[in-house]
Amino acid sequence: MGDLGAISLWIALALAAYSTIGSVSGKLRGSVALVDSAQAAMYATVVALTVSTLSLVVSFISRDFEISYVARHSDLAMPDRFTWVAFYAGNEGSLLYIAMVLSVMAAIAIWRAPERVRDALPYTTGVMMLVLTFFLAVTAVMANPFEKLPFVPADGEGINPLLTHFGMFFHPPALMAGLVGITIPMSFAVGSLLARKTGDEWVDPGRVWGIITWVLLAAGLLLGSWWAYTILGWGGYWFWDPVENAAFMPWLVLTAFIHSIMVQKRRGMFRMWNIALVNVAFGMALYGMFMNRGGSVPSVHSFGASNLGWVFLMFLAVGVIVPFAIFFWRYNTLKSAQNLDSMLSREAAFLVNNLLLLAIAFVTLWGTVYPLISRLTSGEEITVARPFYDQVNGPLMLGLIFLMGIGPMLPWRRANWSSIRRALVVPAAVGVLTVVVLLAVGLRKEYAVAGFGLASFVAVGILMEWGRGAHARVRALTSGQRGVLTSVQDHASAFVQLIWANRPRYGGYIVHLSVLMVLLGIVGTSFFNSQKDVVLSPGETTTIENYEIRYLGTTAVPYGNRTEFISSVEVYRDGEFLDNISPNRAFYPDFNMASTRAAIRSTPVEDFYVVPSENLPDGDVGFRLLVNPLIWWMWVAGPVMILGTLIALWPEPSRVTAPVPTRNRAAISLRQ
Amino acid sequence: MVASKNKSLWYLCAFLLTLYLLAASASVVSAQGGDETLEKEAQDIDKMIMCPVCPAETIDQAQVEISFQMRAVVRELLAEGKTRDEVLDYFVDRYGADILAAPPKSGSNLVAWILPIVGVAAGLVGVFFVIRAMTGSQRRPAATVAVQATPAGAPLAAAATEDVELLPYLEIADRILASRRAASRTTGIPNAAAGISSPPDSPSGQDETPSRREDDHG
Repeated sequence: MGDLGAISLWIALALAAYSTIGSVSGKLRGSVALVDSAQAAMYATVVALTVSTLSLVVSFISRDFEISYVARHSDLAMPDRFTWVAFYAGNEGSLLYIAMVLSVMAAIAIWRAPERVRDALPYTTGVMMLVLTFFLAVTAVMANPFEKLPFVPADGEGINPLLTHFGMFFHPPALMAGLVGITIPMSFAVGSLLARKTGDEWVDPGRVWGIITWVLLAAGLLLGSWWAYTILGWGGYWFWDPVENAAFMPWLVLTAFIHSIMVQKRRGMFRMWNIALVNVAFGMALYGMFMNRGGSVPSVHSFGASNLGWVFLMFLAVGVIVPFAIFFWRYNTLKSAQNLDSMLSREAAFLVNNLLLLAIAFVTLWGTVYPLISRLTSGEEITVARPFYDQVNGPLMLGLIFLMGIGPMLPWRRANWSSIRRALVVPAAVGVLTVVVLLAVGLRKEYAVAGFGLASFVAVGILMEWGRGAHARVRALTSGQRGVLTSVQDHASAFVQLIWANRPRYGGYIVHLSVLMVLLGIVGTSFFNSQKDVVLSPGETTTIENYEIRYLGTTAVPYGNRTEFISSVEVYRDGEFLDNISPNRAFYPDFNMASTRAAIRSTPVEDFYVVPSENLPDGDVGFRLLVNPLIWWMWVAGPVMILGTLIALWPEPSRVTAPVPTRNRAAISLRQ
Repeated sequence: MVASKNKSLWYLCAFLLTLYLLAASASVVSAQGGDETLEKEAQDIDKMIMCPVCPAETIDQAQVEISFQMRAVVRELLAEGKTRDEVLDYFVDRYGADILAAPPKSGSNLVAWILPIVGVAAGLVGVFFVIRAMTGSQRRPAATVAVQATPAGAPLAAAATEDVELLPYLEIADRILASRRAASRTTGIPNAAAGISSPPDSPSGQDETPSRREDDHG
């Protein structure tokens, strides 16, 4: 089975390389047949990689330990469902997964590409396939998942225990797909530059794929935070770890991109800026993959440390330089069709939004590279971790939230003061009122006060906008004089129609609300949590805020690869019995590693969180207790964000482009 | 009027920039306020010290023996009456500056803190000038304006191909225009409808009423 996988991997590599060369040279020479066959080769990579992927899966399920990768990341005791996780537990499988995702995305992107970009498609295909060729070459030559051992071990080494968590089923694949997915919008941008189609043709596919990769990264980041919260055992969810940052930076740049691409879509402006942004996002994504796959920076994500570092570093250099070289080569063709009308317009707000997002991204990058700069210049070893990012990025993020309340209320082109006043007076009043009330009740944490004030300002603005839109719709469609009940029904249905009538806008509002939910979680846990580390003997009690726990005892349950220490704990709140919880801590002797499962009682108001941090002799256990206010909102934000994104992306029926037969499309694309 | 609007925008931008600089420097200078209990203070300090043996984790996070011991040392030192800075210095003396989770705000490491703030401030100023330059060519020929003035009499709703949410309003506007046109035909007043014959947010340069002019600036 491994042989089949290895062979189809090499076939995929050959197909991708052929597709790269074929589509570009075919376009240059005007050969329809060559471009056609190159496109067919691109579709064929999907088939070859599917075979390769399936054969690795089958090797895992049959525990074919002759294959080194299978032996290193699974064992006989591993349940079959963890095959999904074991697949990307190391560099080899991750790279195969990345290649598979890229090939599928490329095929769908080219197949569904709108007719307007047809002229550029051979170049776009070429760029996508060039990136795919790189990943496949690294996989096949340097990190082949099908490499065989000289002997067949009796059992494998087993799967990394930190990976056997539900969050790990989605967090790594979503992030890897998101990072590599940025190739797609970048290819549309670079392809259209190469084809001298530098107008707004690439905007629709660029925006759609930008949003798809954006939501993949967002989901991956949130799932990773959730995983860290439940399993890492320190009660936090985000630490500005170098690898977290590496995924966060491209997400920030993509956030800027999916906003400013709307300006080009609606107004034909920011043409250079958008192409530059998507190139920066691609560079950041390559940097992220470099950190992940071969980075030498200390990180809790050191799963993939390897000899691949220099290859990814080189690809990072090429991936940053080449798109920008093409960008400057075609610079003179990139003129905005429009000028800015006013400083008070949505376009201008988007520019400031872009600046803040890029600022956060580059501050983060600065923090990541500063230790290196310090080592090289003054020889001083310096750590840059959470306190730095919190203090420098905090004000920028609040600025961004503030802008989130203003930007959407400004009309395109030009706002006049009276309309701004109408749209913003009530939200601003509510925001100020929130601040005053919080100060009046004695809250003295500036950031928290500012955060809640801004959150209420933005939320009220969005809700008012919805209410106004729905009301206008009802008034336009009915002629008044209806009962209260029907009026409510009218408004409800008008509200749904409103969202449906302008999906990009209202989907965006829903995403904005989910960002506010994340903000609530961050403010709640950063400023109002309480924490207690305590060692308890069986029968002892301890209190934290209005909670009390009684620790009853711990039972050790041996499993094949681990021993689980399951503690039994009674929880009381305000003296009343709430629940029995059983936080547990498992020790994996083969890995000399412990993995914890916190017991969490979650409500929208606060989480009560108990995690065992050490198991001492005589059944004593060191516990960490936490009361984390409002963090529930952060995990709910994920699904809301995805829902909003789906609404924003839902294609408009009139604009669905029917797929054109390949031959026909290539023929048209060469006639210019 | 135009000049004062422009000036107020300047003030607004300057105000926001000052606000950012204040917030950023406040957040950098004062890490936390001080009326907390000793344990809370100890927990804050835990988050500022890296665990020497674990990759990228503070002693607050790491669950290895040495970080338990270091946490105990933090509490002992605080109980002895040492301040936060003294506790941090104690660890820096023993482990070197990289035991701190963030570079010290002194000496050459001040660059790490100041550069981002200066960079962002410069970026904000830069964007302000970019926007101003882009709005500079205010009086352009009407041809470059995307939304053309609708020919008098054509329904406004038909022109609004993109702003779907404007449709209900434009339909109402059409109804009013139609009734006014009908009225002007009967009363003989020719230009009853002319003043509003361009779409509401189109500064086409032709049909601007005095109240619209006021919003032009720059």
